Amino acid sequence: MRAWAARGGMLAAGVVLFFLLPHVVSDFRLFELARVGQYFIAMLGLYVLTTYTGQVSIGHGAFMAIGGYTTGVLVYHRHWEDWRTLPVAALVAGVAGLLFGLPALRLRGLYLALATFAMAVSVPAIIKKWESLTGGSTGLLFATFHTNRWYYDVTWAAAGVLVVLAWIVLASPVGRTWRALRDSEVAAASFGIWVPLYKTLAFGISAAYAGLAGGILVILSLGANPNSFPIQLSIYLLVGVAIGAFASIPGILVGAAFVEYVQVYAPKWVSDSPGIPTFAFGAALVLAAFAATAVSALTIRWQTGLKRGPAKETS
Amino acid sequence: MRSIAIVLGALALASAAAGATRLDPGVSSNEVKIGGTVPLSGVAAAYASVGRGADAYFKYWNETHGGVKGRKIDYEYLDDQYDPSKTVDQTRRLIQEDHVFAVFNSLGTEQNLAVRALLNGAKVPQIFVASGGLTFGRDYKQYPYTIGFLPSYVAEGTIYGKYLRAQKKKATIAVLYQDDDYGKEMLRGLEKGLAGRGRIVAKQSYDPTASDVNSQVAALKSSKANTFLIAATPKYAIQAYIQVKKLGWKPQIVVNQVASASNVMKIVQSSVGSLANDSVSIGFVKDPTDPRFKKDKVVALYRTVLRKYQPSADPSDVYNVYAMAVAYEFVNALAHAGNPPTRDGLMRAVTHMNDKKNPFLYPGVVVHTTPQSRFPITQAQLIRWRAGHWNAFGRLVSAR
Amino acid sequence: MLAYTFSDYAQQVVSGLSSGGVYALLALAIVIIYRSTGVINFAQGEMATFTTFIAFSLMHHMSYWPAFFLTCAIAFAGAVALERVVIRPIEQAPVLTLVIVTLGLALMFNGASAWIWGGAVHQFDSPFSTRPIHVAGVAFSIQDLGIIAVSLVLVLLLWLLFQFTKLGLALRASALNPEASRFVGIRVGWMLAFGWGLAAAIGAVAGMLTAPLSGLDFNMMLTLLLYAFAAAVLGGLESPLGAVVGGLLFGVVLNLVAMWHVVGSSLKLPVGLAVILLVLLVRPNGLFGRTVVRKV
Repeated sequence: MRAWAARGGMLAAGVVLFFLLPHVVSDFRLFELARVGQYFIAMLGLYVLTTYTGQVSIGHGAFMAIGGYTTGVLVYHRHWEDWRTLPVAALVAGVAGLLFGLPALRLRGLYLALATFAMAVSVPAIIKKWESLTGGSTGLLFATFHTNRWYYDVTWAAAGVLVVLAWIVLASPVGRTWRALRDSEVAAASFGIWVPLYKTLAFGISAAYAGLAGGILVILSLGANPNSFPIQLSIYLLVGVAIGAFASIPGILVGAAFVEYVQVYAPKWVSDSPGIPTFAFGAALVLAAFAATAVSALTIRWQTGLKRGPAKETS
Repeated sequence: MRSIAIVLGALALASAAAGATRLDPGVSSNEVKIGGTVPLSGVAAAYASVGRGADAYFKYWNETHGGVKGRKIDYEYLDDQYDPSKTVDQTRRLIQEDHVFAVFNSLGTEQNLAVRALLNGAKVPQIFVASGGLTFGRDYKQYPYTIGFLPSYVAEGTIYGKYLRAQKKKATIAVLYQDDDYGKEMLRGLEKGLAGRGRIVAKQSYDPTASDVNSQVAALKSSKANTFLIAATPKYAIQAYIQVKKLGWKPQIVVNQVASASNVMKIVQSSVGSLANDSVSIGFVKDPTDPRFKKDKVVALYRTVLRKYQPSADPSDVYNVYAMAVAYEFVNALAHAGNPPTRDGLMRAVTHMNDKKNPFLYPGVVVHTTPQSRFPITQAQLIRWRAGHWNAFGRLVSAR
Repeated sequence: MLAYTFSDYAQQVVSGLSSGGVYALLALAIVIIYRSTGVINFAQGEMATFTTFIAFSLMHHMSYWPAFFLTCAIAFAGAVALERVVIRPIEQAPVLTLVIVTLGLALMFNGASAWIWGGAVHQFDSPFSTRPIHVAGVAFSIQDLGIIAVSLVLVLLLWLLFQFTKLGLALRASALNPEASRFVGIRVGWMLAFGWGLAAAIGAVAGMLTAPLSGLDFNMMLTLLLYAFAAAVLGGLESPLGAVVGGLLFGVVLNLVAMWHVVGSSLKLPVGLAVILLVLLVRPNGLFGRTVVRKV
């Protein structure tokens, strides 16, 4: 019950911020915030996958590409309205996630990581090859543009809905099963839980989130291009999750903001001599990882201290 | 009725007058702000010098001439990591947050395509696009605010085709090309230039994420072609040459301008020796490591400017010279864009260029545009590699 | 359309072995670190590039072989220091944190290389010549054979180290069971650092041998890491011999797969990776890996 109160509070704060920010920040900032939202949605899905079923994926950029190109194709070839394609993008990417998740069950740890890495590299290559549909290396260019406020509204409204959806799924029997799986797969199986179903489902759901985020990416980028889904994208998603792992939803927000802002502003904040922005971003990652570890260690100590109360004498 | 007409007329006049004194975005009494996107990091970071070289030139011009008509040029080049979605973000930033006068010297074909509709829709000049994509010069009716600078890749391929066509022996050609518009347009040009005399017997593409082009070159060799066109970026061009040597193949090699900078060719020569001799390419920018330009005053100036304003830049990198050539033309165009300069004035200036004396270009290469002919550089010099450096041969050829 | 002859296939296999030799060297470094520390070092390629640049600078002051070995020593020492200072504090952190740190290090080394030595491509000589040897219509290159030979020699040296020396035994013990190793007096922390140093030295060798192939520039190893990682996984992440065999095999598979027109060179990487995944479905721990029993 307390968990739901906390969630309700978080949601209320989010809604207030959503309506407040456009009056406080400049118009261009809203576009930047939309990009943060795009990362946030994909990271949210990946976070659920990694934290609740322990499957690490460094290839979710591929699902973003699949969702993104679904949006691209529907808008470019079939003249759909851009935001209406988002649920379809999620669906197509989700199905792809299920199809991938099934054979991926046999792999574990680094071997699974390689499989996801392979996917991240392969999907853009296949997309590029399928020229008649995807426009090849030129991609699909859109003709309609929106205001920055529109991009911000659509992205964060979607994000809000998806956060609530995630809470519901995590509180449902599916979520409980995932937690049982995380604690011990073998034990869960011995209880009669059909492990493959739940692990694959996690893949599918996280892929759907990434697919929707990919659709948003394409809409914000005024079109779809294979160069927008490089392997770095998958890696940066993981960064957001790593930071979020210590502080759940707010943590993922920090991760998303980190990925968006540090990349763009490193040249301005530090220096734009050759190599310095890259170096600065790398250093920021290392420092963030250290900071997150320290915070987590302190939090655990604080929580344990709270639970235990004052030390008791033992004979 | 008449009084309303007079009032409306007066209002119209008043607003016209107000509009006339209102400055275009990016223009102030002492400054003109321009910006562009360049890959400063990531896989294409080698092209960053296209931005840095121009920046050095503008700083030099600002210091020695006080800018153009008393307005200093403030050039901001932002990193798009060669990712079109980031190009969109950064270009948006330039026009919505930095309010630039024009988008100048952005690099990449797909990257500039991604923002072309946006810029033209907002009537922001997209000038001197750093890409040889044919569309940037050809599609001006739809995109009147866009213009390129380089000879198009199609034109470059045509030059090679014409050169091979004129050789005694009929050419059987194997082509290694990058799997995107740049590579494909080069192929098209080649076919056009050959016009039937000479055949492309094998073509192999590579993706910029490939680790090497070994298998492609091996496949090309097995076609037994007598000519090998390398339409690739420096890293893969070097690999291709080395593979040719290792396979014992001895074709006539034609290498595209993007990879034929002297410093790249020197690396090639140190690995493959005499195989590099008689390689053919084109040039239109003065190569600072070419001994022919050792005593050239402009090259000396170039080195000084680079050392002073971009000390971390590598003077042997020919893209820096290209960047200065573009910056030089921009200064020219800005001087003819009105006072105060306007965006329409700028577009008028860049579609009426006729500069025979750009000091950074090969002697004789002219920068020429008309409103219907939007390819600023349409000439190049054929060059042949011998005795450790490029040697010009023949007259300037047309790169249309 | 090309109609392939037998010698075409043979040539592609040989070309594949030459590409694969490059993957093998970097894969070897990855395996050594993984085997001694359980960590996949995403910075391996960038560290190799950085140390190659150090060699480049050294070679302006001394001749090739002294610079070569001095670079290996510097790489070793530098990596040992890196492990102690950066990795040690987060040894116990979750895997994801370690991944982020090694990724951050990769970007730092990449950026540092660009900042110190600039973005242009530089010349770097190879100890082996590019002269070809022709055997039955197929061209072999001395340089590529040299690379393969070096990787096999390294595998041999590593095997000797691990099997026949006390140090090797301590390294293996530290990786397998750190707790027990501490009980018998092994300085586990220093063993981990040694593993990093060893891998960095191998990486330096990899960098110095592959730089001549396409010129030395700071992005040299960027795409190579994926290939090396795939090769290491194919071979089984704990086996040095597996790394080399995996690398050579992957190189050959990629080339053969590219000969099929449907695939071509644009899809050869996805198809090649799919082949590896198929292998993993049959042998989940790679070709030379050992099956691990999971305890409840």
